[in-house]
Amino acid sequence: MDIQTIFTSFVALVPVTLAQSLILAFVVLGIMIPFRTLNFPDLTSEGAFPLGGCVCGVLLAAGASPLTAIAVALVAGFLAGCCTAFIHLRFRIHTLLAGILMMTMLYSINLRIMGRSNLSVFGSPTVFDWAPFTQPGFPASKIVVAGIIGIVVFILLDLFFKTEKGTAIRAVGANPDMAEAQGINVWVATIGGVGLASAFSATGGALMVQSQGFADVNMGLGILINGLAALMIGEAIVGKQTVARQLAAPFVGAIVYYQLVSFCLAAGMPPPDLKLATGLFVLAMLALPSLRRGRGPAPAREAVRE
Amino acid sequence: MLEIRSARKVFYKGRPDEKKALDGLDLSLATGEFGVVIGSNGAGKSSMLNAISGAMVLDSGQVLINGDDVTGMPVHRRAARLARVFQDPMKGTAASMTVAENMLLADLRSRKRTLRLGLNAKRLADYRERLALLGLGLENRLDTRVELLSGGQRQSLSLIMAVGGSPELLLLDEHTAALDPRTADIVMQATVRAVEALKLTTLMVTHNMQHAVDYGHSVIMLDAGKVRLEISGEEKKRITVADLIGHFSVKTDRMLLAS
Repeated sequence: MDIQTIFTSFVALVPVTLAQSLILAFVVLGIMIPFRTLNFPDLTSEGAFPLGGCVCGVLLAAGASPLTAIAVALVAGFLAGCCTAFIHLRFRIHTLLAGILMMTMLYSINLRIMGRSNLSVFGSPTVFDWAPFTQPGFPASKIVVAGIIGIVVFILLDLFFKTEKGTAIRAVGANPDMAEAQGINVWVATIGGVGLASAFSATGGALMVQSQGFADVNMGLGILINGLAALMIGEAIVGKQTVARQLAAPFVGAIVYYQLVSFCLAAGMPPPDLKLATGLFVLAMLALPSLRRGRGPAPAREAVRE
Repeated sequence: MLEIRSARKVFYKGRPDEKKALDGLDLSLATGEFGVVIGSNGAGKSSMLNAISGAMVLDSGQVLINGDDVTGMPVHRRAARLARVFQDPMKGTAASMTVAENMLLADLRSRKRTLRLGLNAKRLADYRERLALLGLGLENRLDTRVELLSGGQRQSLSLIMAVGGSPELLLLDEHTAALDPRTADIVMQATVRAVEALKLTTLMVTHNMQHAVDYGHSVIMLDAGKVRLEISGEEKKRITVADLIGHFSVKTDRMLLAS
């Protein structure tokens, strides 16, 4: 394959990929909030994303309006996130294990919700039908709708994290003991924060189902590692020093990451190798700081007297 | 006013390594009183502070702040009444947040947090003014993340955060122990100024005998989970380091070294 063919097929896919990445940016946001803001590494999104999809699919098939479907998916995701946080807080189970438990259980729940492993909702009305300025069906409508929702969510979250309540939630992630000593209820903040994050993941799932026209219980497979990769790219580009930058990272990261994936596929990379490549990339990004530090010991904690 | 009534706490109960942390501890601190707590390692000083702040649940006994029983209250609810400065400068501040944000968190300690903008112009001006009292230049670094400050600066910030809003009770947990002597002195002077100006009811734990002699209205010595000795009034004013050490058999070298 010559360069020109690769380039042409990549460019042809840019709008479709952009639409997809704007939808998946919500999942990346749902991974970023626990991971960075709450210091609660969480895997729930791998189950919350298909949960949102399945709930949305069933409701669309039953004739519900696309907005109702998204709203219910959002609430379902919120509850799933709350459960993960509760399992961690109440039973002192590691956050990662709590997330694995939750996503495993969600798989059965998702199957129960749909009654089968996939469900076509092609032809049902979607939020993308209401796109201003564009013809329905074309990727542009998806880009516009997902983009508008994304911008609104970004602005609202940026405002929220600067309010008194939002600052308190960030404090819980930064130093839970200190937060508690300053009168912040760590349980409420953690459960609410992780719930909110999973609600975004589920919203991403619901939008995805409306975009692709079907729901599938396996649609979450590998979404977490994709999301992490996107987050790391985003943070490398816009940084994470301020609230606004940290919130922009998932969106920028998702857009760049999925274009990269699309380019790799256009360049002839076999799709089965994609997860390996993504995994290696995330590993490299995570390992970089420790490689830079050299082979020294773990960062020494400040020596203090007993 | 702080009252602790026959507080008991046993760790590892029924096991060979059973440890009585608090063994019927009784203590009372009048409103506006500055009490200094000393005692060797394992005497129960930290357990006592944890019992007051709520970080540790008592087996039996009561903790009362200004007459209200707070024994069953979780840490975050007691926070409305008391403030604590930890020994470890890392513990009392949120490292990844800015100086101003940390001040805001402390500012809202006893208030309901709303959905309004946290750092408004009025608050920022207030924080600038309060931090300026320290004379460390922190008032010009409101947007600096706390992790970039030195240990002494962080501890000074913790102190300003703790005394803001005049808590009903101020707990100082060896708050100068991790600092170099000069910085420790700055933080200690700032502490005394604030406590005197605001007439705060204060309980300070220290290993520094000189501090126990120089500061506070009373010295409370803990041993084996109870109050072994309490010196106050005129006797406290006359006491020397040698007297203090003479009052109990020194179990560790640390006290001698620290004096």
